Amino acid sequence: MERAMPQAVPLGQMEVFQALQRLHMIIFSQNVSPCGKFLAAGNNYGQIAIFSLSAALSSEAKEESKKPMVTFQAHDGPVYSMVSTDRHLLSAGDGEVKAWLWAEILKKGCKELWRRQPPYRTSLEVPEINALLLVPKENSLILAGGDCQLHTMDLETGTFTRALWGHTDYIHCLALRERSPEVLSGGEDGAVRLWDLRTAKEVQTIEVYKHEECSRPHNGRWIGCLATDSDWMVCGGGPALTLWHLRSSTPTTIFPMRAPQKHVTFYQDLILSAGQGRCVNQWQLSGELKAQVPGSSPGLLSLSLNQQPAAPECKVLTAAGNSCRVDVFTNLGYRAFSLSF
Amino acid sequence: MELQLKGSVIVLTLNSTNNGVTSGWEEGKYYSEEAEVDRRDPGRDYELYKYTCQELQRLMAEIQDLKSRGGKDAAVEIEDRRIQSCVHFMILKKLNRLAHIRLKKGRDQTHEAKQKVDAYHLQLQNLLYEVMHLQKEITKCLEFKSKHEEIDLVSLEEFYKEAPPDISKAEVTMGDPHQQTLARLDWELEQRKRLAEKYRECLSNKEKILKEIEVKKEYLSSLQPRLNSIMQASLPVQEYLFMPFDQAHKQYETARHLPPPLYVLFVQTTAYGQACAHMKSSQPPRQDKTLSVAIEGSVDEAKALFKPPEDSQDDESDSDAEEEQTTKRRRPTLGVQLDDKRKEMLKRHPLSVMLDLKCKDDSVLHLTFYYLMNLNIMTVKAKVTTATELITPISAGDLLSPDSVLSCLYPGDHGKKTPNPANQYQFDKVGILTLRDYVLDLGHPYLWVQKLGGLHFPKEQPQHTVIADHSLSASHMETTMKLLKTRVQSRLALHKQFASLEHGIVPVTSDCQYLFPAKVVSRLVKWVSIAHEDYTELHFTKDIVEAGLAGDTNLYYMALVERGTESDACSSPSSGKGCHSQDVKYRTLLPLCSPCTHLGGIESCDSSQLSWHLIGQGFLLEPPRCCLWCCHPAPALAAKLQAAVVLNPGYSSIPPVFQLCLNWKGEKTNNNDDNIRAMESEVNVCYKELCGPRPSHQLLTNQLQRLCVLLDVYLETESHDDSVEGPKEFPQEKMCLRLFRGPSRMKPFKYNHPQGFFSHR
Repeated sequence: MERAMPQAVPLGQMEVFQALQRLHMIIFSQNVSPCGKFLAAGNNYGQIAIFSLSAALSSEAKEESKKPMVTFQAHDGPVYSMVSTDRHLLSAGDGEVKAWLWAEILKKGCKELWRRQPPYRTSLEVPEINALLLVPKENSLILAGGDCQLHTMDLETGTFTRALWGHTDYIHCLALRERSPEVLSGGEDGAVRLWDLRTAKEVQTIEVYKHEECSRPHNGRWIGCLATDSDWMVCGGGPALTLWHLRSSTPTTIFPMRAPQKHVTFYQDLILSAGQGRCVNQWQLSGELKAQVPGSSPGLLSLSLNQQPAAPECKVLTAAGNSCRVDVFTNLGYRAFSLSF
Repeated sequence: MELQLKGSVIVLTLNSTNNGVTSGWEEGKYYSEEAEVDRRDPGRDYELYKYTCQELQRLMAEIQDLKSRGGKDAAVEIEDRRIQSCVHFMILKKLNRLAHIRLKKGRDQTHEAKQKVDAYHLQLQNLLYEVMHLQKEITKCLEFKSKHEEIDLVSLEEFYKEAPPDISKAEVTMGDPHQQTLARLDWELEQRKRLAEKYRECLSNKEKILKEIEVKKEYLSSLQPRLNSIMQASLPVQEYLFMPFDQAHKQYETARHLPPPLYVLFVQTTAYGQACAHMKSSQPPRQDKTLSVAIEGSVDEAKALFKPPEDSQDDESDSDAEEEQTTKRRRPTLGVQLDDKRKEMLKRHPLSVMLDLKCKDDSVLHLTFYYLMNLNIMTVKAKVTTATELITPISAGDLLSPDSVLSCLYPGDHGKKTPNPANQYQFDKVGILTLRDYVLDLGHPYLWVQKLGGLHFPKEQPQHTVIADHSLSASHMETTMKLLKTRVQSRLALHKQFASLEHGIVPVTSDCQYLFPAKVVSRLVKWVSIAHEDYTELHFTKDIVEAGLAGDTNLYYMALVERGTESDACSSPSSGKGCHSQDVKYRTLLPLCSPCTHLGGIESCDSSQLSWHLIGQGFLLEPPRCCLWCCHPAPALAAKLQAAVVLNPGYSSIPPVFQLCLNWKGEKTNNNDDNIRAMESEVNVCYKELCGPRPSHQLLTNQLQRLCVLLDVYLETESHDDSVEGPKEFPQEKMCLRLFRGPSRMKPFKYNHPQGFFSHR
């Protein structure tokens, strides 16, 4: 008999190209639908894939239910950020923000509802949009990215109402202080700036890299991630992941993590962070590493906690980054499975 | 008189009876009661009768009464009464007669009427019968089918168009369908007559021609011996003039002894070669240089194979007997026997088909097709010869080796397994594990070879009779020949490229120059081939192996790109003179521009606005320098970029895949550095922009050159650690709009050709 050979499946030109595309895919952003049952993920090729969390989590889940229900080409460039209002999915990347109706996406016949471009000063290169932030009280959307400004867009009229100046390099991330209408932004210039939305003025600046405790010059100054909880703020990136007390603007806890962090969030009395490396890190506020849960991607760029009250059965943590897979954690202890593009 | 009161007729009657007897009788000569009957009314007679009867009754009663009384004058009275009664009786008699006459008369009338009715009835019957008969006749007429309806007449328009007016008579026939049909029938008859005439003519013509043919045949048959003698005489001339007409003829003769699959292959390739030659030019078919076919081997041996079967059977039984004997006698020879059996099974047909495929650059692919008689499969051996002697680079060892040059011509067709499922059972018998161990000797049984020979093997069931099919062969011929040509050309191109790659030169042709900036500092320093196993054991190639892109049919290489060591021209702490000599070397090896052209790059992009804009934006971080060669500080550390390359046998339609590992301030791979990942994706996913002009043989070298550019960008844009004293290790020379972009802080890897700046993808 012929010996069974460890032969890879014969691949044609198209298959090789697709395999390479999957291999070099980066999932930049993810967002849970308002009903809590679906997860949208956007990659570096400008595609958005919709996964059904409820199907993947159900007891009779098959391999197919871990594949996207719908994939559509949303942008020409990467999809860096997505947010959901109660009816719309807003996605942004290459300088434009586009709106999609959730109801239509799920019916698989989606067309963009509208698209807006903030007023940019330069025309040579269209600046990217790295972060979107919804301000529910004002019914507005804040966009920030390549042109170093925060643009506010009124969701009702679709007009850009104001631009906040101050950053000297591009902006990575935004965070909203729930109680007072204030927004935090962190950027490549290494500063975290606090903006008052009522007066449209910068109220506070923390230049993280200037603090010796957390500065790491070999990694750069950039602030890659931000999260806030009333008086507390946690940020990381080039400098070490640090917990700050905002009123006194002093670093209180420095988390011992060598790799730059790309996403951080408060969860109950924990801080979850992810970045370079396979793991989702769980920190006590005291700076103690509670757990490191390994995922399937070599690097993570975004975490998403599905806390929609409408779908309690789909309450999961999802993490995505430098691979075509979205890891799903049903509890914070271990990775249950991966959704895949 | 009472009677007279009753009515004139009766009065008359009474007159005649009482008074005028004489007169009555006188008249009686012509008196007839029959006539009287007519004149009298029967109703009145009835009344009279009733009245008479009453009178009689009364008279009788009076007589009775008188008699019973018996008076004197009774007798007179009675007499009187008797006379009266007599009169009444007379009347009764008369009435009786009348009644009889009437009855008779009535009977006669009835009879007469009855006879009349009978006569009429008979007449009616006759008429009805006649009607029925006529109706039958009518239906018979209506159902009558005429013969002409079966005739397929020409259509009406055609008829009026073609028929002469004396037949068609349009003015008469237009309104009258009957006349029209008649006219059409006339026309039909006319036509048929004409055709019959023609038929007769043709017949006679045919007769004549047959006779002519007969005569010519006789002439031709007399020509044959004469031609033969001329042919014989012309042979030396043909040989002298190198005109292989006869040789081709002989080859066809030999082809008759080819086994069916090789015959199919021979015929189809010859046909394809001729067709190509026809398409290319108006040259005679035999002069085609791109494809030539020949048969090799001994014809006698082939003929010997077709000996009468009895002999071979005898041989076999003999050998069987011998076999038994030997096994009994000497056991240790079992292995030898098995070897013999294996040899017998793997025996090739003594004839083989040689196919020479010539490419544009005069290199030739020699293919020799064999047929394994007992396995019923075909194999091929390949050899590539080039017009000029090639210096074989070490890394190019496998590129043109007969073992791998044709591997995976179609996806997955590596030619190491027998395509005939039936063979496995045969192998089991003689203890052959796999054909793989014998392919070097026998040639590769690629699937396309079977298809060219018209052999089609089903996937599931072993079929013992596989017939060589011409159509299968023909349908695969063109694509396969094209694939063979592109394969050889791309391999030869790679072969040449490898020679310079091994010397650390990335050959970039002038038509691909626009893909790269004028100045590339990173250099390729090593290019070696590595084994499949070594590749899979590398720590940074795991992803590719897991994705199934690293099969054992691929070729594997390792490239090393460096920047910042002694080989870097600018880093050498030499004087300006040395620098210039390096410069000269660069210019000769790589078509690099003079040191200042990158500055010219901006100026040439006609918008001076651009540079103004760049500076205005504050993006232009480093002003372009005047002389790049001499202003560099000596780098402290060399950056070494290892690239493991998977070269698919289907290159260049399937791109080579690169995996990178950078050794500079620690080891950086796609696992721990997003920008290394981006660099990989730049060469692997965006390979289409690097293909260059078709048939994109420059892809691999362009990818390597791109890798050098990417390494330059990576190193030059690396953010400088402010805390460390001293200048940057790799000063930024590339123009970039921005250094970082997006959440994963990508570097500007995309090169924009005419302007010469780098931007983000």
